[in-house]
Amino acid sequence: MGAVMWIEVLSRHGEIAARERVDAPQARVGRAFDNDVVIDDPHVAPHHLRIFRAEDGELVAEDLGTVNGLYPEHGAARVERLPLAREPGIRIGRTILRVHDSAHPVAPEKPLTPPRAHAAWAAGLGIAVIALLCVIEWLGVTSERSANLLVLPLLGFATFLVLWAGLWALLSRLFFGQARFALQLRIALTACLAFLLWDQLGEWLSYALAWPQLDDYASYGAWALLGAACYGHLVSIGPRHMRIAMGVIVALLAAGAAMQYAGRAEARRIAGEPATLGELKPPEFRLRPAESVERFLAGTDAAKRTVDEARKKEPAAGLFPEAEPAE
Amino acid sequence: MIRPFLAAVAMAAASPLAFAQPAAAPSQAPLSSAAERVYEMAKPRILQVRTLLQSAGRQTTLGSGFVVSADGYAITNYHVVSRFALDPKTYRLEYLAPDGGKGALALLAIDVAHDLAVVKIDRTGLPFFEFDPRALDGTLPKGERMYAMGNPLDLGFTIVEGTNNGLVEKSYDEHIHFSGAINPGMSGGPVTDSDGRIVGVNVAKRLDGEQVGFLVPARFAAALLERARRGPPLAVDKAREEVGRQLDAWQSAFYQALGKEGFRDTSFGPYRGMESSAPWMTCWAATNADQVPKPRAAINTTRCSSTTGLFVSDRILTGRVDLTYSYHQSIDLNAFQFSHELAQQAAAASFDRGRRLTEQECTDGFVEGAPGARPPLRVRWCMRAYREFEGLYDVTMLALTQDRDREALLAQLVMQGVSQANAVALGKRFLESIRWAR
Repeated sequence: MGAVMWIEVLSRHGEIAARERVDAPQARVGRAFDNDVVIDDPHVAPHHLRIFRAEDGELVAEDLGTVNGLYPEHGAARVERLPLAREPGIRIGRTILRVHDSAHPVAPEKPLTPPRAHAAWAAGLGIAVIALLCVIEWLGVTSERSANLLVLPLLGFATFLVLWAGLWALLSRLFFGQARFALQLRIALTACLAFLLWDQLGEWLSYALAWPQLDDYASYGAWALLGAACYGHLVSIGPRHMRIAMGVIVALLAAGAAMQYAGRAEARRIAGEPATLGELKPPEFRLRPAESVERFLAGTDAAKRTVDEARKKEPAAGLFPEAEPAE
Repeated sequence: MIRPFLAAVAMAAASPLAFAQPAAAPSQAPLSSAAERVYEMAKPRILQVRTLLQSAGRQTTLGSGFVVSADGYAITNYHVVSRFALDPKTYRLEYLAPDGGKGALALLAIDVAHDLAVVKIDRTGLPFFEFDPRALDGTLPKGERMYAMGNPLDLGFTIVEGTNNGLVEKSYDEHIHFSGAINPGMSGGPVTDSDGRIVGVNVAKRLDGEQVGFLVPARFAAALLERARRGPPLAVDKAREEVGRQLDAWQSAFYQALGKEGFRDTSFGPYRGMESSAPWMTCWAATNADQVPKPRAAINTTRCSSTTGLFVSDRILTGRVDLTYSYHQSIDLNAFQFSHELAQQAAAASFDRGRRLTEQECTDGFVEGAPGARPPLRVRWCMRAYREFEGLYDVTMLALTQDRDREALLAQLVMQGVSQANAVALGKRFLESIRWAR
């Protein structure tokens, strides 16, 4: 049990504005200048509270008979006395104080990130993403070969990435004090790499399983990946209201995914599935076992039942104008 | 009314310039007197058939018709009365005689396959047309003068002189090729020989030609009239079911005929597919070899299409079968690029037909090959149902060979207005016909 106590006065933004060391067994807090800790808050009494050690050595705050009273930091109930061992925060007037015993435990030392580690990671990830993008673009070029066809999407992608990471770096500078652009870039690139791999997986599986809709469903995974990226960025910034920020992001992403779903569902409701084969890959990548002609054609009964059901229902008015050939 | 999709060039054909041909004028003098005679004789026997909007009491479509019996039976096209037949609560039929008399028309019988309808006017004792016995026997000589009558574009009762060119070749539907101007509003009007006897009924014209008109041969009209006289009249609220029944009967006869004509093998690079032996399946080939810049995959396409087109309503034209094979061969695409190219080509095959049909539903899979005979296939079957007619579907099948990674045969079978059983039967034949040539 140390004899020293520390009283921290927090700013309105939650940062520590002042930290006073009190060597005496008790400390007085208030607006008057004869206090141990002086607080510039018009809602605090000249002599607002007294902090002393109880018989068991625990620090306790005591209201000295004020108008605005004494509250725990996160509580709404006014108290006369407040034991501080578990919850060191106090609210008086509009000011928040935290009282710590000298024996108060602190978190262990955080290892320093080696200099340029994030930059190195970002560079490595960047190379991987660009290489992957190049391969994907190259395999998709079936028209005239042109370097611009490769360069354009790459430039577009790079611009977007720098803007995205820059935005987060700006936020980081505002809330964390440091921009840490390399870290933001690393997080964004990780998400990009994951997205590209996920997207390809969707494409390949939709061919391998002869299931074109799979590619559509996979695109919803992209929203989850975007959410994960935002979470990563947020953690790196470490804002005070992490939960609220994440809640807002999740809500926005959910709205985006819901919009995509609604648009697709509407298009599907009007036109149905397209008579196309979806993305195709070389035949070696087939996974779904082949069936006999008879078996495949027997399977068309399910489609027949679905359209037979559909014809009994009146086609509802759509979001989009009716897709009918003009007279 | 002439089928709406044919209406576009109608105004051009009727423009004064088309008639300003001085060289032809002297020789036409004696012929026009024949036309004058026919017109005088025919005039009291022709009708304008109007479909009125029940609520507004105004016309929505116009066509022609002609009286064929003293007790008021008349003949017109099914497509002239189709709105009323499919929706008798919204529309009603009315006739206008050349003498200015008008009255209600009763719909007694329809023949969707031949685009004919028998109606009855509300008065009797009218002069009427006789059928030409040569038309019923099919012995009309080519080149004979014929006179098509009707009320084109609501301009007034008109007679058009033209020539008989016999039955249209390479056509599943029997139509007389009439070389003369047929315009919207003349549909359902009579076509007679120079004695004023019925040889056919105006029905359609080609938009991409000049003076290429089509007539329904008189014998189908005579047969439908016979049916209308003997059978019970069409119950107006059951007309839609009757249309559905006739569509079903039509497709069943059509697919039977297609099967009877048989199929022959045809080669596409190292693959073979099938081709109908029916003379009314016309095939066209296309290539991308002359494309600029030089294509990176050679695509050679053969598309065979039945020349059938069945008018059901303003929004539904059905009864077509299309069989398309395109052989793709990589020139300098690698296996991945080639498959991507194929995916894009297969995507172009999709088409939309509006909401008279249900949304499309598809089934996917790989179909196994047979060693030494058939390559494995990636297959997609898509179908839509006709909302108004039970048991009829539009079916699209796509099949892609899956044995090589730098060449492939992409085959597409489109069947409109087909029953599930017929679609599955032809689909089976289609899938099994994709074989290796060597």
